Amino acid sequence: MSFFNEIGDMFYKTFIYENRYLYFLDGLKNTLIIALLAVIIGIVLGMVISLIKDYNKETKHLKVLTKICDFYVYIIRGTPVLLQLMILYYVVFKSIDIPILLVGILTFGLNSAAYVSEIIRSGILSIGDGQKEAAKTLGLSYFQTMRYIIFPQVLRSMLPALGNEFITLLKDTSVAGYIGIVELLKASDIVSSRTYDYFFPLIVSALIYLFFTFLLVRLMRMLERKLNHVRS
Amino acid sequence: MYEVKKLVKKFGKVEVLKKIDLVVENGEKIVIIGPSGSGKSTLLRCLGRLEKATSGKINFCDKDINKISKTHEIGMVFQSFNLFENLTVLENITLAPIKTKLMNKETAIEKAKDYLKKIKLDDKENAYPADLSGGQKQRVAIIRALMTDPKVILFDEPTSALDREMIEEVLNLMEEVAKSGITMIVVTHELNFAYNFATKIIFMDDGKILESGSPQELFNNPQTERLKEFLKN
Repeated sequence: MSFFNEIGDMFYKTFIYENRYLYFLDGLKNTLIIALLAVIIGIVLGMVISLIKDYNKETKHLKVLTKICDFYVYIIRGTPVLLQLMILYYVVFKSIDIPILLVGILTFGLNSAAYVSEIIRSGILSIGDGQKEAAKTLGLSYFQTMRYIIFPQVLRSMLPALGNEFITLLKDTSVAGYIGIVELLKASDIVSSRTYDYFFPLIVSALIYLFFTFLLVRLMRMLERKLNHVRS
Repeated sequence: MYEVKKLVKKFGKVEVLKKIDLVVENGEKIVIIGPSGSGKSTLLRCLGRLEKATSGKINFCDKDINKISKTHEIGMVFQSFNLFENLTVLENITLAPIKTKLMNKETAIEKAKDYLKKIKLDDKENAYPADLSGGQKQRVAIIRALMTDPKVILFDEPTSALDREMIEEVLNLMEEVAKSGITMIVVTHELNFAYNFATKIIFMDDGKILESGSPQELFNNPQTERLKEFLKN
Protein backbone atom coordinates (compact mmCIF):
# COMPACT_ATOMS: atom_id res chain seq x y z
CA MET A 1 0.00 0.00 0.00
CA SER A 2 2.72 2.40 0.97
CA PHE A 3 4.47 1.63 -2.36
CA PHE A 4 1.51 2.88 -4.37
CA ASN A 5 1.16 5.80 -2.07
CA GLU A 6 4.75 6.67 -2.74
CA ILE A 7 4.28 6.48 -6.49
CA GLY A 8 1.18 8.62 -6.32
CA ASP A 9 3.09 11.07 -4.20
CA MET A 10 5.96 11.22 -6.68
CA PHE A 11 3.59 11.67 -9.59
CA TYR A 12 1.95 14.54 -7.77
CA LYS A 13 5.29 16.17 -6.96
CA THR A 14 6.59 15.77 -10.50
CA PHE A 15 3.61 16.98 -12.50
CA ILE A 16 0.86 18.56 -10.47
CA TYR A 17 2.51 20.49 -7.65
CA GLU A 18 3.28 24.09 -8.71
CA ASN A 19 1.97 23.18 -12.16
CA ARG A 20 5.27 21.46 -12.93
CA TYR A 21 3.82 19.75 -16.00
CA LEU A 22 4.18 23.14 -17.64
CA TYR A 23 7.95 22.64 -17.62
CA PHE A 24 7.51 19.51 -19.70
CA LEU A 25 5.12 21.20 -22.09
CA ASP A 26 7.45 24.14 -22.51
CA GLY A 27 10.44 21.84 -22.99
CA LEU A 28 8.55 19.77 -25.53
CA LYS A 29 7.52 22.92 -27.39
CA ASN A 30 11.14 24.08 -27.65
CA THR A 31 12.35 20.65 -28.69
CA LEU A 32 9.78 20.51 -31.48
CA ILE A 33 10.45 24.07 -32.63
CA ILE A 34 14.19 23.43 -32.85
CA ALA A 35 13.74 20.09 -34.60
CA LEU A 36 11.15 21.32 -37.10
CA LEU A 37 12.93 24.52 -38.13
CA ALA A 38 16.29 22.74 -38.20
CA VAL A 39 14.85 20.11 -40.53
CA ILE A 40 13.68 22.83 -42.90
CA ILE A 41 17.06 24.58 -42.83
CA GLY A 42 18.74 21.20 -43.25
CA ILE A 43 16.71 20.22 -46.30
CA VAL A 44 16.99 23.58 -48.07
CA LEU A 45 20.69 24.09 -47.37
CA GLY A 46 21.45 20.40 -47.90
CA MET A 47 19.79 20.54 -51.30
CA VAL A 48 21.77 23.64 -52.25
CA ILE A 49 25.05 22.02 -51.20
CA SER A 50 24.34 18.80 -53.09
CA LEU A 51 23.26 20.75 -56.18
CA ILE A 52 26.45 22.83 -56.14
CA LYS A 53 28.55 19.67 -55.87
CA ASP A 54 26.65 17.82 -58.59
CA TYR A 55 26.65 20.83 -60.90
CA ASN A 56 30.40 21.04 -60.43
CA LYS A 57 30.75 17.36 -61.27
CA GLU A 58 28.70 17.77 -64.46
CA THR A 59 30.09 21.05 -65.76
CA LYS A 60 33.36 21.68 -63.85
CA HIS A 61 32.03 25.14 -62.96
CA LEU A 62 31.66 26.59 -59.41
CA LYS A 63 35.04 25.24 -58.30
CA VAL A 64 35.52 27.60 -55.35
CA LEU A 65 31.97 27.11 -54.04
CA THR A 66 32.40 23.35 -54.28
CA LYS A 67 35.62 23.50 -52.25
CA ILE A 68 33.81 25.56 -49.61
CA CYS A 69 30.95 23.02 -49.51
CA ASP A 70 33.39 20.12 -49.19
CA PHE A 71 35.15 21.89 -46.34
CA TYR A 72 31.84 22.66 -44.65
CA VAL A 73 30.67 19.05 -44.77
CA TYR A 74 34.11 17.93 -43.55
CA ILE A 75 33.98 20.25 -40.52
CA ILE A 76 30.40 19.43 -39.56
CA ARG A 77 30.84 15.68 -39.87
CA GLY A 78 34.18 15.74 -38.12
CA THR A 79 33.14 17.50 -34.91
CA PRO A 80 30.50 16.73 -32.24
CA VAL A 81 27.25 18.66 -32.51
CA LEU A 82 27.55 19.77 -28.88
CA LEU A 83 30.87 21.40 -29.68
CA GLN A 84 29.30 23.14 -32.70
CA LEU A 85 26.52 24.39 -30.44
CA MET A 86 29.00 25.75 -27.94
CA ILE A 87 31.15 27.42 -30.58
CA LEU A 88 28.11 29.11 -32.07
CA TYR A 89 26.87 30.24 -28.68
CA TYR A 90 30.08 31.12 -26.83
CA VAL A 91 32.19 32.28 -29.78
CA VAL A 92 30.24 33.30 -32.87
CA PHE A 93 27.26 34.93 -31.18
CA LYS A 94 29.12 35.88 -28.01
CA SER A 95 28.68 39.62 -28.31
CA ILE A 96 25.48 39.61 -30.33
CA ASP A 97 22.13 39.68 -28.58
CA ILE A 98 20.29 36.80 -30.16
CA PRO A 99 17.54 34.59 -28.72
CA ILE A 100 19.15 31.47 -27.39
CA LEU A 101 16.55 29.29 -29.11
CA LEU A 102 17.69 30.70 -32.44
CA VAL A 103 21.25 29.58 -31.72
CA GLY A 104 19.89 26.07 -31.20
CA ILE A 105 17.84 26.15 -34.41
CA LEU A 106 20.82 27.42 -36.41
CA THR A 107 23.23 24.87 -34.98
CA PHE A 108 21.03 21.87 -35.64
CA GLY A 109 19.95 23.23 -39.04
CA LEU A 110 23.53 23.80 -40.17
CA ASN A 111 24.52 20.42 -38.76
CA SER A 112 21.69 18.55 -40.47
CA ALA A 113 22.38 20.28 -43.80
CA ALA A 114 25.76 18.58 -44.07
CA TYR A 115 24.27 15.12 -43.55
CA VAL A 116 21.24 15.78 -45.77
CA SER A 117 23.52 17.00 -48.58
CA GLU A 118 25.40 13.70 -48.45
CA ILE A 119 22.13 11.75 -48.47
CA ILE A 120 20.89 13.65 -51.53
CA ARG A 121 24.25 13.33 -53.25
CA SER A 122 24.30 9.57 -52.88
CA GLY A 123 20.69 9.54 -54.09
CA ILE A 124 21.68 11.42 -57.24
CA LEU A 125 24.60 9.05 -57.77
CA SER A 126 22.34 6.01 -57.41
CA ILE A 127 20.27 7.11 -60.40
CA GLY A 128 23.26 7.03 -62.70
CA ASP A 129 24.22 9.21 -65.63
CA GLY A 130 22.04 7.61 -68.31
CA GLN A 131 18.89 9.64 -67.74
CA LYS A 132 20.91 12.82 -67.31
CA GLU A 133 22.60 12.20 -70.65
CA ALA A 134 19.29 11.49 -72.38
CA ALA A 135 17.88 14.73 -70.96
CA LYS A 136 20.91 16.63 -72.18
CA THR A 137 20.59 15.37 -75.74
CA LEU A 138 16.92 16.36 -75.68
CA GLY A 139 17.91 19.94 -74.95
CA LEU A 140 16.83 20.05 -71.28
CA SER A 141 18.92 22.30 -69.04
CA TYR A 142 20.69 21.05 -65.92
CA PHE A 143 18.04 22.50 -63.63
CA GLN A 144 15.14 21.20 -65.70
CA THR A 145 16.73 17.75 -65.60
CA MET A 146 17.13 17.94 -61.84
CA ARG A 147 13.65 19.27 -61.19
CA TYR A 148 11.58 17.03 -63.45
CA ILE A 149 13.63 13.84 -63.64
CA ILE A 150 16.34 13.36 -61.04
CA PHE A 151 14.90 14.88 -57.84
CA PRO A 152 11.54 13.10 -57.99
CA GLN A 153 13.45 9.82 -58.15
CA VAL A 154 16.05 10.82 -55.57
CA LEU A 155 13.33 11.74 -53.11
CA ARG A 156 11.88 8.26 -53.27
CA SER A 157 15.16 6.43 -52.91
CA MET A 158 16.50 8.59 -50.10
CA LEU A 159 13.36 8.72 -47.99
CA PRO A 160 14.47 6.00 -45.52
CA ALA A 161 17.85 7.68 -44.99
CA LEU A 162 16.17 11.05 -44.64
CA GLY A 163 13.78 9.64 -42.05
CA ASN A 164 16.74 8.37 -40.04
CA GLU A 165 18.32 11.79 -40.20
CA PHE A 166 15.19 13.47 -38.84
CA ILE A 167 14.94 10.99 -35.97
CA THR A 168 18.59 11.55 -35.10
CA LEU A 169 18.05 15.29 -35.25
CA LEU A 170 15.04 15.18 -32.94
CA LYS A 171 17.00 13.21 -30.34
CA ASP A 172 20.15 15.30 -30.74
CA THR A 173 18.32 18.45 -29.73
CA SER A 174 18.54 17.09 -26.20
CA VAL A 175 22.07 18.49 -25.93
CA ALA A 176 20.73 22.01 -26.38
CA GLY A 177 20.12 22.16 -22.65
CA TYR A 178 23.88 22.50 -22.28
CA ILE A 179 23.80 26.16 -23.29
CA GLY A 180 20.64 26.81 -21.29
CA ILE A 181 17.88 26.13 -23.78
CA VAL A 182 15.00 24.59 -21.87
CA GLU A 183 14.16 21.70 -24.15
CA LEU A 184 12.52 18.49 -23.04
CA LEU A 185 15.48 16.88 -21.29
CA LYS A 186 16.51 20.11 -19.61
CA ALA A 187 12.92 20.54 -18.42
CA SER A 188 12.90 17.15 -16.78
CA ASP A 189 16.25 17.98 -15.24
CA ILE A 190 14.82 21.15 -13.72
CA VAL A 191 11.92 19.23 -12.26
CA SER A 192 14.26 16.54 -10.87
CA SER A 193 16.29 19.16 -9.10
CA ARG A 194 13.14 20.31 -7.34
CA THR A 195 11.79 16.90 -6.37
CA TYR A 196 15.08 15.04 -5.84
CA ASP A 197 13.55 12.27 -7.91
CA TYR A 198 14.86 11.22 -11.31
CA PHE A 199 12.61 8.32 -12.09
CA PHE A 200 9.44 10.02 -13.25
CA PRO A 201 10.90 12.98 -15.11
CA LEU A 202 13.38 10.85 -17.05
CA ILE A 203 10.95 8.06 -17.90
CA VAL A 204 8.34 10.55 -19.02
CA SER A 205 10.87 12.36 -21.22
CA ALA A 206 11.89 9.03 -22.74
CA LEU A 207 8.25 8.18 -23.48
CA ILE A 208 7.69 11.55 -25.14
CA TYR A 209 10.78 11.14 -27.34
CA LEU A 210 9.64 7.63 -28.23
CA PHE A 211 6.19 8.84 -29.11
CA PHE A 212 7.50 11.46 -31.54
CA THR A 213 10.09 9.23 -33.17
CA PHE A 214 7.34 6.64 -33.58
CA LEU A 215 5.18 9.28 -35.29
CA LEU A 216 8.11 10.14 -37.58
CA VAL A 217 8.61 6.51 -38.54
CA ARG A 218 4.92 6.14 -39.40
CA LEU A 219 4.93 9.38 -41.37
CA MET A 220 7.94 8.25 -43.41
CA ARG A 221 6.33 4.87 -44.12
CA MET A 222 3.20 6.63 -45.32
CA LEU A 223 5.21 8.90 -47.61
CA GLU A 224 7.17 5.97 -48.99
CA ARG A 225 4.01 4.07 -49.78
CA LYS A 226 2.50 7.10 -51.44
CA LEU A 227 5.55 7.70 -53.63
CA ASN A 228 5.77 4.05 -54.58
CA HIS A 229 2.14 4.14 -55.53
CA VAL A 230 2.71 7.05 -57.89
CA ARG A 231 5.24 4.99 -59.76
CA SER A 232 2.68 2.15 -59.87
CA MET B 1 26.56 17.87 -91.39
CA TYR B 2 29.57 16.68 -89.40
CA GLU B 3 33.17 17.49 -90.05
CA VAL B 4 35.61 15.80 -87.70
CA LYS B 5 39.27 16.75 -87.82
CA LYS B 6 42.09 15.01 -85.96
CA LEU B 7 39.80 14.11 -83.09
CA VAL B 8 41.70 12.77 -80.08
CA LYS B 9 39.98 11.61 -76.90
CA LYS B 10 41.89 10.50 -73.83
CA PHE B 11 40.55 9.12 -70.60
CA GLY B 12 43.37 9.82 -68.23
CA LYS B 13 46.39 8.45 -70.04
CA VAL B 14 44.47 6.04 -72.24
CA GLU B 15 44.06 7.30 -75.77
CA VAL B 16 40.68 6.00 -76.93
CA LEU B 17 40.41 7.96 -80.17
CA LYS B 18 43.57 8.54 -82.17
CA LYS B 19 43.20 11.38 -84.64
CA ILE B 20 39.90 10.55 -86.24
CA ASP B 21 38.96 12.30 -89.48
CA LEU B 22 35.40 11.94 -90.66
CA VAL B 23 32.90 13.74 -92.84
CA VAL B 24 29.18 13.02 -92.62
CA GLU B 25 26.92 14.38 -95.35
CA ASN B 26 23.25 15.27 -94.98
CA GLY B 27 20.97 12.25 -95.15
CA GLU B 28 23.69 9.64 -94.88
CA LYS B 29 23.07 6.44 -92.93
CA ILE B 30 26.38 5.58 -91.39
CA VAL B 31 27.02 2.39 -89.48
CA ILE B 32 30.12 2.12 -87.32
CA ILE B 33 31.35 -1.40 -86.67
CA GLY B 34 34.38 -2.80 -84.92
CA PRO B 35 35.46 -4.94 -81.97
CA SER B 36 34.68 -3.95 -78.37
CA GLY B 37 36.98 -1.26 -77.08
CA SER B 38 37.73 0.09 -80.53
CA GLY B 39 36.34 3.53 -79.64
CA LYS B 40 33.05 3.35 -81.58
CA SER B 41 30.86 4.46 -78.72
CA THR B 42 33.30 7.13 -77.61
CA LEU B 43 33.31 8.59 -81.11
CA LEU B 44 29.52 8.61 -81.12
CA ARG B 45 29.41 10.23 -77.69
CA CYS B 46 31.77 12.95 -78.90
CA LEU B 47 29.43 13.57 -81.84
CA GLY B 48 26.55 13.72 -79.35
CA ARG B 49 28.36 16.24 -77.13
CA LEU B 50 28.41 13.85 -74.20
CA GLU B 51 32.21 13.74 -74.30
CA LYS B 52 34.55 16.63 -74.92
CA ALA B 53 37.39 16.18 -77.37
CA THR B 54 40.86 16.19 -75.82
CA SER B 55 42.14 17.77 -79.03
CA GLY B 56 40.98 18.18 -82.58
CA LYS B 57 37.80 19.68 -83.86
CA ILE B 58 34.21 18.68 -84.52
CA ASN B 59 32.03 20.94 -86.65
CA PHE B 60 28.29 20.44 -86.76
CA CYS B 61 26.50 22.25 -89.59
CA ASP B 62 29.63 24.39 -90.11
CA LYS B 63 29.78 25.45 -86.48
CA ASP B 64 32.03 24.35 -83.62
CA ILE B 65 30.01 21.68 -81.84
CA ASN B 66 30.80 23.19 -78.45
CA LYS B 67 29.21 26.46 -79.50
CA ILE B 68 25.87 25.32 -80.87
CA SER B 69 22.99 26.43 -78.71
CA LYS B 70 20.23 24.17 -80.00
CA THR B 71 21.36 20.95 -78.40
CA HIS B 72 18.16 19.16 -79.38
CA GLU B 73 19.31 19.16 -83.02
CA ILE B 74 21.45 16.13 -82.20
CA GLY B 75 19.22 13.29 -81.01
CA MET B 76 20.59 10.23 -79.32
CA VAL B 77 19.37 6.71 -78.59
CA PHE B 78 21.19 4.65 -75.97
CA GLN B 79 21.90 1.00 -75.36
CA SER B 80 20.20 1.19 -71.96
CA PHE B 81 17.21 3.22 -73.28
CA ASN B 82 17.51 5.83 -70.51
CA LEU B 83 13.81 6.53 -70.32
CA PHE B 84 12.84 8.78 -67.41
CA GLU B 85 11.72 6.25 -64.82
CA ASN B 86 9.45 8.61 -62.90
CA LEU B 87 7.42 9.64 -65.94
CA THR B 88 4.80 7.90 -68.06
CA VAL B 89 5.45 7.05 -71.69
CA LEU B 90 3.57 10.13 -72.87
CA GLU B 91 5.38 12.38 -70.38
CA ASN B 92 8.72 10.90 -71.43
CA ILE B 93 8.06 11.88 -75.00
CA THR B 94 6.58 15.33 -74.41
CA LEU B 95 8.68 16.65 -71.49
CA ALA B 96 11.59 18.04 -73.52
CA PRO B 97 9.65 19.71 -76.37
CA ILE B 98 7.30 21.38 -73.85
CA LYS B 99 9.92 22.48 -71.31
CA THR B 100 12.32 23.78 -73.94
CA LYS B 101 9.39 25.70 -75.43
CA LEU B 102 9.86 24.03 -78.77
CA MET B 103 6.10 23.54 -79.00
CA ASN B 104 3.10 24.09 -76.77
CA LYS B 105 1.59 21.34 -74.69
CA GLU B 106 -1.33 20.53 -77.01
CA THR B 107 0.86 20.26 -80.09
CA ALA B 108 3.39 18.12 -78.27
CA ILE B 109 0.76 15.72 -76.97
CA GLU B 110 -0.91 15.47 -80.35
CA LYS B 111 2.41 14.78 -82.07
CA ALA B 112 3.38 12.25 -79.41
CA LYS B 113 0.10 10.38 -79.77
CA ASP B 114 0.55 10.26 -83.53
CA TYR B 115 3.97 8.70 -83.09
CA LEU B 116 2.70 6.26 -80.48
CA LYS B 117 -0.02 5.14 -82.84
CA LYS B 118 2.54 4.57 -85.58
CA ILE B 119 4.58 2.27 -83.37
CA LYS B 120 1.38 0.67 -82.03
CA LEU B 121 2.02 1.66 -78.44
CA ASP B 122 -0.89 4.07 -78.11
CA ASP B 123 -2.40 1.86 -75.43
CA LYS B 124 0.75 2.34 -73.33
CA GLU B 125 0.80 6.12 -73.11
CA ASN B 126 0.06 6.09 -69.38
CA ALA B 127 2.35 3.16 -68.56
CA TYR B 128 5.65 3.68 -66.77
CA PRO B 129 8.95 2.51 -68.30
CA ALA B 130 9.16 -0.25 -65.70
CA ASP B 131 6.03 -1.80 -67.25
CA LEU B 132 7.44 -2.00 -70.78
CA SER B 133 9.52 -4.69 -72.47
CA GLY B 134 13.00 -3.81 -73.64
CA GLY B 135 11.90 -3.51 -77.25
CA GLN B 136 9.00 -1.26 -76.33
CA LYS B 137 11.30 0.92 -74.22
CA GLN B 138 13.72 1.39 -77.07
CA ARG B 139 10.97 2.23 -79.54
CA VAL B 140 9.65 4.86 -77.12
CA ALA B 141 13.20 6.19 -76.74
CA ILE B 142 13.49 6.50 -80.52
CA ILE B 143 10.30 8.51 -80.93
CA ARG B 144 11.30 10.60 -77.92
CA ALA B 145 14.43 11.52 -79.85
CA LEU B 146 12.35 12.27 -82.96
CA MET B 147 9.98 14.62 -81.14
CA THR B 148 12.40 17.54 -81.10
CA ASP B 149 12.97 17.28 -84.88
CA PRO B 150 16.72 16.66 -84.71
CA LYS B 151 18.91 16.96 -87.79
CA VAL B 152 20.75 13.78 -86.91
CA ILE B 153 20.10 10.83 -84.62
CA LEU B 154 22.95 8.89 -83.07
CA PHE B 155 22.27 5.28 -82.07
CA ASP B 156 24.65 3.80 -79.52
CA GLU B 157 24.24 0.01 -79.76
CA PRO B 158 20.44 0.34 -79.69
CA THR B 159 19.80 -3.41 -79.72
CA SER B 160 22.66 -4.75 -77.61
CA ALA B 161 20.56 -4.95 -74.45
CA LEU B 162 17.65 -6.72 -76.16
CA ASP B 163 16.54 -10.30 -76.62
CA ARG B 164 16.64 -11.73 -80.13
CA GLU B 165 12.90 -11.39 -80.78
CA MET B 166 12.86 -7.74 -79.73
CA ILE B 167 15.82 -6.70 -81.85
CA GLU B 168 13.74 -7.00 -84.99
CA GLU B 169 11.05 -4.52 -83.90
CA VAL B 170 13.66 -1.90 -83.06
CA LEU B 171 15.59 -2.36 -86.30
CA ASN B 172 12.34 -2.15 -88.27
CA LEU B 173 11.51 1.14 -86.63
CA MET B 174 14.99 2.45 -87.42
CA GLU B 175 14.45 1.57 -91.08
CA GLU B 176 11.11 3.36 -90.93
CA VAL B 177 12.80 6.44 -89.45
CA ALA B 178 15.47 6.31 -92.15
CA LYS B 179 12.84 6.78 -94.86
CA SER B 180 12.23 10.33 -93.68
CA GLY B 181 15.69 11.22 -95.00
CA ILE B 182 17.14 12.15 -91.61
CA THR B 183 20.86 11.63 -91.06
CA MET B 184 21.59 8.60 -88.88
CA ILE B 185 24.80 7.32 -87.35
CA VAL B 186 24.57 3.88 -85.79
CA VAL B 187 27.00 1.87 -83.70
CA THR B 188 25.93 -1.76 -83.82
CA HIS B 189 27.02 -5.38 -83.89
CA GLU B 190 24.14 -6.35 -86.21
CA LEU B 191 26.13 -6.87 -89.39
CA ASN B 192 23.19 -8.06 -91.52
CA PHE B 193 21.30 -4.95 -90.60
CA ALA B 194 24.35 -2.83 -91.32
CA TYR B 195 24.73 -4.34 -94.79
CA ASN B 196 21.15 -3.54 -95.82
CA PHE B 197 20.76 -0.26 -93.99
CA ALA B 198 23.97 1.70 -94.37
CA THR B 199 24.96 4.06 -97.15
CA LYS B 200 28.42 3.94 -95.66
CA ILE B 201 30.13 1.66 -93.21
CA ILE B 202 33.04 2.62 -91.00
CA PHE B 203 35.28 -0.03 -89.50
CA MET B 204 37.12 1.02 -86.38
CA ASP B 205 39.87 -0.70 -84.46
CA ASP B 206 42.11 0.53 -81.67
CA GLY B 207 40.86 4.12 -81.80
CA LYS B 208 41.33 4.53 -85.53
CA ILE B 209 39.16 4.29 -88.63
CA LEU B 210 40.74 1.46 -90.60
CA GLU B 211 38.33 1.28 -93.48
CA SER B 212 35.24 3.03 -94.72
CA GLY B 213 33.05 2.71 -97.78
CA SER B 214 29.87 1.19 -99.09
CA PRO B 215 28.63 -2.02 -97.44
CA GLN B 216 29.46 -3.97 -100.62
CA GLU B 217 33.03 -2.70 -100.71
CA LEU B 218 33.72 -3.44 -97.07
CA PHE B 219 31.92 -6.73 -96.66
CA ASN B 220 32.76 -8.30 -100.03
CA ASN B 221 36.22 -6.91 -100.42
CA PRO B 222 37.84 -6.10 -97.08
CA GLN B 223 41.30 -4.59 -97.45
CA THR B 224 42.81 -4.98 -93.99
CA GLU B 225 43.59 -8.14 -92.09
CA ARG B 226 41.74 -6.78 -89.04
CA LEU B 227 38.49 -6.37 -90.94
CA LYS B 228 38.81 -9.80 -92.58
CA GLU B 229 39.31 -11.31 -89.14
CA PHE B 230 36.42 -9.29 -87.68
CA LEU B 231 34.01 -10.39 -90.40
CA LYS B 232 34.97 -14.06 -89.96
CA ASN B 233 33.59 -14.04 -86.43
